[in-house]
Amino acid sequence: MNKRTSAYLRDIPSKPYDLIREGLIVFGVILLIAIVLAAIFGSPDYPTVRSEDVARSAPIALLKTSADILAGKSSLQDYGPPYSADPQNAQKLLGVAPANWFGVTNPIDPAEDLILKPLERAAVLDADIQSALTQYRAASKTQRQQWLTAYSAALDQAQVSNGEVQLPDGQYGPVEVMMQGMLNLGKAGLLEGAIDSGPGLPYLLDTTRSLLFFQDDVDHGVAQKLDMLGEQWGMSHETGLYPGGWWLWPFVFLYQIPAIANSPNADLLAAAIMAIAYLGLVFLPFIPVLRDVPSRIGVHKLIWRDWYSRSDSSPSVDAKDEDGVRLRP
Amino acid sequence: MNLTRKIQQGIRENLTLEDLLPTRMPVYVNSVAYLFGVAALSGLVVLVLTGVIMAIFGPTWYHNSSTGRFVNSIHFWGVQLLFFSLVAHILTKIFMSAWRDGRWKTWFIGTITFVIAALAALTGFLAQTNWDSQWIAVQAKDLMNAVGLGVLFNPMNIGQVLSIHLIVLPLLIAALVGIHLIMVRREGPVKPIPRQGASDE
Repeated sequence: MNKRTSAYLRDIPSKPYDLIREGLIVFGVILLIAIVLAAIFGSPDYPTVRSEDVARSAPIALLKTSADILAGKSSLQDYGPPYSADPQNAQKLLGVAPANWFGVTNPIDPAEDLILKPLERAAVLDADIQSALTQYRAASKTQRQQWLTAYSAALDQAQVSNGEVQLPDGQYGPVEVMMQGMLNLGKAGLLEGAIDSGPGLPYLLDTTRSLLFFQDDVDHGVAQKLDMLGEQWGMSHETGLYPGGWWLWPFVFLYQIPAIANSPNADLLAAAIMAIAYLGLVFLPFIPVLRDVPSRIGVHKLIWRDWYSRSDSSPSVDAKDEDGVRLRP
Repeated sequence: MNLTRKIQQGIRENLTLEDLLPTRMPVYVNSVAYLFGVAALSGLVVLVLTGVIMAIFGPTWYHNSSTGRFVNSIHFWGVQLLFFSLVAHILTKIFMSAWRDGRWKTWFIGTITFVIAALAALTGFLAQTNWDSQWIAVQAKDLMNAVGLGVLFNPMNIGQVLSIHLIVLPLLIAALVGIHLIMVRREGPVKPIPRQGASDE
């Protein structure tokens, strides 16, 4: 034993101990519990939400998602750094917006990257899409918005018959063909690949854009059915009855407070509160009053009850070890 | 200055073999509270073992093979056991005011390790590559971006998620746990709180 610890424990009796044996026993118990829980309960593996599934089971949702993104109505539009140069939309706290510190590091143009580029790939296979894209790109911004507004309104009256979406007649210009192209890409299971496709092919390791495609209504709809929204304590559990990151409960709790949950700066506000609480934990040994609270609660009397009862029976704690050996170097 | 000799001397003075692998303990070390740390360490070993197996066979294996799903399930429950043990370990150390007598550095390293472990768990949930991952990714990105960390970590980039979960964070955790354990063994278990209470660190 080193001299410092030896001096620290000078008057403390010792007892025999086997570190390796204790470690192996505890490890065996933990491994056994993990195996038994895995055998009985398995683990959550709810399938991903794919464009193919959405195109077949909720085609109008896919069309609406595509039209909203193209019309600039998605939550990604004007998001701010790191996706777009809109610093005014970054979350702020006391005038500080950390999201703006590094600027636009992952530029994303929602209409171009999530709709028009995938359609350009589909246009190679379908001349109608090529014509529609040419017409759309040549049109004025006002004209595009008129087509998209009419198309989005028509989607509210759309019917699905034998998997095909029936729209009322209207002035949709090339948008109807373009949106049908998105739907067909989805039905073919090619939409995610068309969105993420890039110079790194055949390796598709960055799934950012395809994950962003359904992040609004579709993902929220699925999450709501599975009780996984923020207001449903979604961050701290997984699908079904499986536990998730329950250690995030204090953090998730903050999102249940309306003043935080409804704030446009909710994430930054919650993160700041947690950061302060965490710093309080880290520096607890140095915070007067707070550092003394644990000893006043008295749980330590339970943990060291043998030691205290030993002290009670022998006011000056006997320095002799349980087997007569002293903790000396 | 001979650096090797300096390190030899440092180890000799601070970490004897009896410190590292003790065969005796002070008698006050006599409670189940002392087992939560080793339980957390055991949970970590379970995660490393099952994680290495899953890393060898790859992400599709733990979805499509029954053996893969079972190993993934052990890994999943290993995370739950690790965090249960970690939270119990931290709470008992708070109740014991275990930072006393100069042990605040050990406490400090432990609290940092807890946050890194929580990040490892987050990247683990993202690496499941199922609906939970999909949902957590688009939700977590708003938090990451809001606090300015979006430039460092993008939860929707599965390539980055896997490399951080499999290499960066495990190495960081191993290093921090190693330092924490060396400190624990070097300093020995803190003495019980004196009857009148404790306030010194």
